Amino acid sequence: MKSRIAELYGVWMSELRMVFRDPAAILIFLIVPLVYPLLYTTIYNKEVVREVPVVVVDDSHSAAGREFARLTDLSPDVRVIATAEDMARARDLVARREAYGIIHIPAGFAADIARGEQTQVEVFAEMSSILHYKAILLSATEASLVMGADIRVAETGHNSAGEDATAMRYVKGEWVSVYNIPNGFAAFFIPAVLILILQQTMLLGMATLFGTRAERRQIMLPSERMAGRRRGLQAVTLGKALCYSTLYLVISVWVLRVVPYLFGLPQIGHPGTLIVFLIPFLLSCTFFCMTLSYLSSQREFGLLLFASTSVIFIFLSGVSWPWNAMPGTLKAVAYLIPSTPGVQGFVKINTMGASLGSVMFEYVMLWIQAAFYWGAATLMHRWWVRNYDPRLNPPLSYTPME
Amino acid sequence: MARSKVVLWGAVCVPLLAAAVFLPMMRSGLPVGIPVALVDHDNSATSRALVRQLDAFPKTDIAYRCATFGEAQRLMERGEVYAIMTIPEGFARDASTGRQPQLGYYTNNAFLINGSLTFQDLKTASVLAAASVGIKLGDAHGETGMQAMQAAQPIVVESHPVGNPSLNYSIYLNNMLLPGVLQLIVLMFTVSAFGSEVKAGNGPGLIELAGGSTPAAVMGKLLPYTILFMSIGLMFMGLLYGICAFPLRNGFWPMALNYLLLILASQGFAMALLAVFRNYRFSVSIACLIGMLSIPLSGFTFPVTAMYGPMQAWSSIVPLRHFFLNYVDQALAGVPLGYSAMHYAALMGFVAVGLGAMPGVGNILRNDTYRP
Repeated sequence: MKSRIAELYGVWMSELRMVFRDPAAILIFLIVPLVYPLLYTTIYNKEVVREVPVVVVDDSHSAAGREFARLTDLSPDVRVIATAEDMARARDLVARREAYGIIHIPAGFAADIARGEQTQVEVFAEMSSILHYKAILLSATEASLVMGADIRVAETGHNSAGEDATAMRYVKGEWVSVYNIPNGFAAFFIPAVLILILQQTMLLGMATLFGTRAERRQIMLPSERMAGRRRGLQAVTLGKALCYSTLYLVISVWVLRVVPYLFGLPQIGHPGTLIVFLIPFLLSCTFFCMTLSYLSSQREFGLLLFASTSVIFIFLSGVSWPWNAMPGTLKAVAYLIPSTPGVQGFVKINTMGASLGSVMFEYVMLWIQAAFYWGAATLMHRWWVRNYDPRLNPPLSYTPME
Repeated sequence: MARSKVVLWGAVCVPLLAAAVFLPMMRSGLPVGIPVALVDHDNSATSRALVRQLDAFPKTDIAYRCATFGEAQRLMERGEVYAIMTIPEGFARDASTGRQPQLGYYTNNAFLINGSLTFQDLKTASVLAAASVGIKLGDAHGETGMQAMQAAQPIVVESHPVGNPSLNYSIYLNNMLLPGVLQLIVLMFTVSAFGSEVKAGNGPGLIELAGGSTPAAVMGKLLPYTILFMSIGLMFMGLLYGICAFPLRNGFWPMALNYLLLILASQGFAMALLAVFRNYRFSVSIACLIGMLSIPLSGFTFPVTAMYGPMQAWSSIVPLRHFFLNYVDQALAGVPLGYSAMHYAALMGFVAVGLGAMPGVGNILRNDTYRP
């Protein structure tokens, strides 16, 4: 037993030494997780869209029309940059991207209000961003509600202030945005990105290292031999897993705790819960990445093969595209990837303050994945050693030998 | 190229996989049936009518009825529901006597899309509730239905989302996710096209094959890739505009040109990266990192105008950004080509940068040996 532990420790340490000797591994394992979360969060960090430029076309040429435009402009979300004389001119401003939407006040606007008839304001929004559309629509709707309430009070006649308030609103609605209070884009998206950064840098780094060994036919590195003989399959697989998962436990502190803190993102999870959750996540990640990395046959191929999968994995994780709207087959595929339960569990713990009990499903799923990919990584290692045995499959002529 | 397994897997299978995942994933366009919990303390005919109305909205599905708010909150924490609506005790009585009862709606915006979509439904339901109470009161005061409607909502806003009237998320996302994956692949595989020659020690051989001409060697090497990537681009166009019938207002050619220029611009950009960094492995890493960041920097999820200044500046040197603006103009809005001229020109600018980097790439092929 004692020698087993010593052996694992030996594999772990010699693998770690090789990681720190390779500039590619240092770039992908250390520098990218350090810098990339900062860049990504900076892109989204303004969180919300403010002062979206819009142009007003007021065909009513009335005080009521100007009042509507003024009320819209009051909203922090939009800014009325111009009043155009007709729709053609307004469309031109939108096509030039000087404005992102048009608010069209019809000719009969003031007359309809005076006659006590319902009137309609049209909003045209350019659809390059749904956030622009939302800002313009919500501001115009808010203006219509405020102005509508004033009209209602004017019509029902002035009574006591209390009755006026009732005339404005028969039923009040109170909206509370739970967990992501500023309703921000970064607070929603970045937690998922952080988990993906952990998984994908691990995948790309390992695939680079394993690809390098494959092309050089280095199947008997110090981490794989002892006293001139090949170590046991499990000693190698588990020892390497220890190396990468502990390395990533350290990296996780920066990526999952410090980065959200630096940018003031929601972070109400209990650190203890997070660590307990991270253990199966990092283990399943490690074995998953190991399984795939044995497929990389050259140093540079890891990036070429696996980099684009990040875009696919993040959408499969069920945050950008809601889980309840995903077809069943894709849900099944998504559960083959550690980032899926990883992202869902992390968002619940970190952003929503969930307890371990509330993420039990994801937690168990990660342990199942860890066990499954442990087996897969062991089998892949056996295949890899046979496939790249230099006696059976000599290295390519150009590969520099050590 | 044709014999390379890594090209087959990385440059052919991955884009196919992306299309096979993203298009079926978002087939519904808008998420439907988002689970919501309801806490109805009133349980009157009025509150039940409100609930029926809410449940009838396609986006919202009242999955749970809870006796207490705490129970609903635990469901939300487990991710079983994305919103909670509470109806206070005495809701019907208070509404009809003008005591303004308060409906509460709580949305989980840690999942922003579900949160905002259920918010829209909950808000509409509560506005409709207010209107229906207003109509009832109006009836009591002898107003006609129309007058009461007007009294409840004198001004209505009608929205016209230009180019995407159904607010289909699949149109939003897939029109850019697939080109985003394509750009990433073009960047990496352009670097590797030359890097692998250097690695194999074939650089001088390639130049010799081209009769000693650097442009012939470089272009000869890249042309098969350009054809491969353009076939993928045309396949994406077929899927998006043919099978899914997404808007393509100005027809086939402006977008086909946009795809072609995106590919050429990315090839030019990648050549510049290789010429600057020289090392194959390091240049592929940088191409990968830039390619990944380009996707959010293009601004189709979070608008560029809302980013910090330096990020806005960075986005202008991303080919995908210019591709995106052209796509908005030509496919979604259908404005005359002239309005997009600047961004087509910007993409050509990247091609020019690539031509400028050509001597550098030729130099690498002639003189460099592989460094890991």
